[in-house]
Amino acid sequence: MIDITDLSKTYGKARGIENINLEINEGEIFGFIGPNGAGKSTTIRILMNLIFPSAGSARIMGMDVIKETKRIKINVGYIPADANAYSSMNVREFLLYCINFYGVRNGEKRITELAGMFELDLNRNIADLSLGNRKKVSIVQSLLHNPKLLILDEPTTGLDPLMQSVFFELLRSENQKGMTVFFSSHILGEVQMLCKRVAIIKEGKIIQLEEIDNLRKKQLKKVTIESEKTLNKELFIFTGIEKLITLSGNNISFMYSGNINELVGFLSGMKVTNLTIEEPSLDEIFLHYYRS
Amino acid sequence: MNRNLFLKEMRRNMSSLITWLIVITVLITVTMSVYRTFMENQSKITGMLSLIPKGALQFKGISNFNDLLSVLGFYAANNVIYMMVLGSIFAIVLSSNIVLKEEYDKTAEYLLTRPITRSEIFFSKIAVVGLNLFMLNLVTALAGFLCMELVKKGPFSITSFLILSLYTLLLNLLFGSIGLFMSTIVRRAKPITTIAIGMVLIFYFIYTISKITESISNIGYLSPFRYVDMNVVNPSYRLDFWHLAYFTGISLLLTGLSYRIYKRKDIYL
Repeated sequence: MIDITDLSKTYGKARGIENINLEINEGEIFGFIGPNGAGKSTTIRILMNLIFPSAGSARIMGMDVIKETKRIKINVGYIPADANAYSSMNVREFLLYCINFYGVRNGEKRITELAGMFELDLNRNIADLSLGNRKKVSIVQSLLHNPKLLILDEPTTGLDPLMQSVFFELLRSENQKGMTVFFSSHILGEVQMLCKRVAIIKEGKIIQLEEIDNLRKKQLKKVTIESEKTLNKELFIFTGIEKLITLSGNNISFMYSGNINELVGFLSGMKVTNLTIEEPSLDEIFLHYYRS
Repeated sequence: MNRNLFLKEMRRNMSSLITWLIVITVLITVTMSVYRTFMENQSKITGMLSLIPKGALQFKGISNFNDLLSVLGFYAANNVIYMMVLGSIFAIVLSSNIVLKEEYDKTAEYLLTRPITRSEIFFSKIAVVGLNLFMLNLVTALAGFLCMELVKKGPFSITSFLILSLYTLLLNLLFGSIGLFMSTIVRRAKPITTIAIGMVLIFYFIYTISKITESISNIGYLSPFRYVDMNVVNPSYRLDFWHLAYFTGISLLLTGLSYRIYKRKDIYL
């Protein structure tokens, strides 16, 4: 569905993104994670032809995002991070304006259906809407034309938990009908809930591309030790110990990837009083990849 | 061109167009209503006008005091400033905002992500500018024509009037293209209305100074106002080919450059 090859964007001497390679399959919900400024929005804006790449290429549904942008956008819905609609319009006028670009029949019916789902008052002026309600308008406009691909840039900012849940349910339901979702976020919990695969972007580069389940299973363990003796960093120079998380007195925790038996052997000389080996949370995995 | 976008832009600019139409039409009507009084007291007024430096009259396109006795001469000298300066301000404000506003209002992300090309966006928007300027010039010229018909003491050349009206439209279109060009070259998306209005006033100031001060008359050629021939009472008054080429050439050049830049412009919000 989306095919990104060696995509780069520089802003003068400043970094944007560097050699991004991604392939997103039809029908999947794909997560794109990274903190603010990592390059998520830059990548998305190139896909949507808002900005032009410095190098590389991107294709959606086999079509070049620059040369065939109009054809692509017939089947793409997009939720921008900043939801600023035309303040001189009311919600109905704005949504009708949006749907008229697609020549959708029974547009009013579709608008009413989606607005009802998000409890959106169609007669209110956009200028008077709260951030949350503007976000709802943004969500509704992206789905009006039943797109095959939905590109979301931080879509839940401003949405209350109830509406987030309605939104996620809607995404799952549309995904089951065949819609592909490209979901960019810095909130790992929502990515974990929805996505099957995830790419982690750091300083403009993809540092990890993995299935969510594999990311958890990938032998990365969180190890916590309690010892009779006071522990110090120098004791923990051992292959597989990737990152010390906390160290205080007799307690230490770290991320470990490697053979558990070897680790247990290594720890046996340390007078361990308590040992916990557990699956790290997705947040911890993310931070691990991000800081390493 | 995209009909949906064109209609939305026309609706959005309608109130502004109506306001400018009313203002300019009222100014023309009020000024022309003075013509009869002027004619009834022409000997006194001619005496007063003889005290005014020649250059001050020249910049209004008056080569001879008697020019003002013709209704068309009076119209050209007293009203064209409204249509030329105010019309150009309307043109440059409209065109400098019509594309850029989508960026600084952060609505470009909704527009550019629709199935519409940048060419369609650009041409829909300049069609709105063109139609607005055409309507402004048509209505104000009609108002001027009707006023002249009502107050005239003798016949006037309709051809000369039409040529003058065409010059005004061409000047407004030129400033429209300047505004469009300015909006595409700015890096940061923010309103440029003040700069745009300033540009019209600076060009008008250059034109005025060049007309009044003979020693620097050549700098007048830098101003588009210089290329509007206002000497309508001249029997050989005609549409000058080179002036026509100047207006159309620069307008097309700036519009073409704006189009090329906009086609490849990164839209930062």
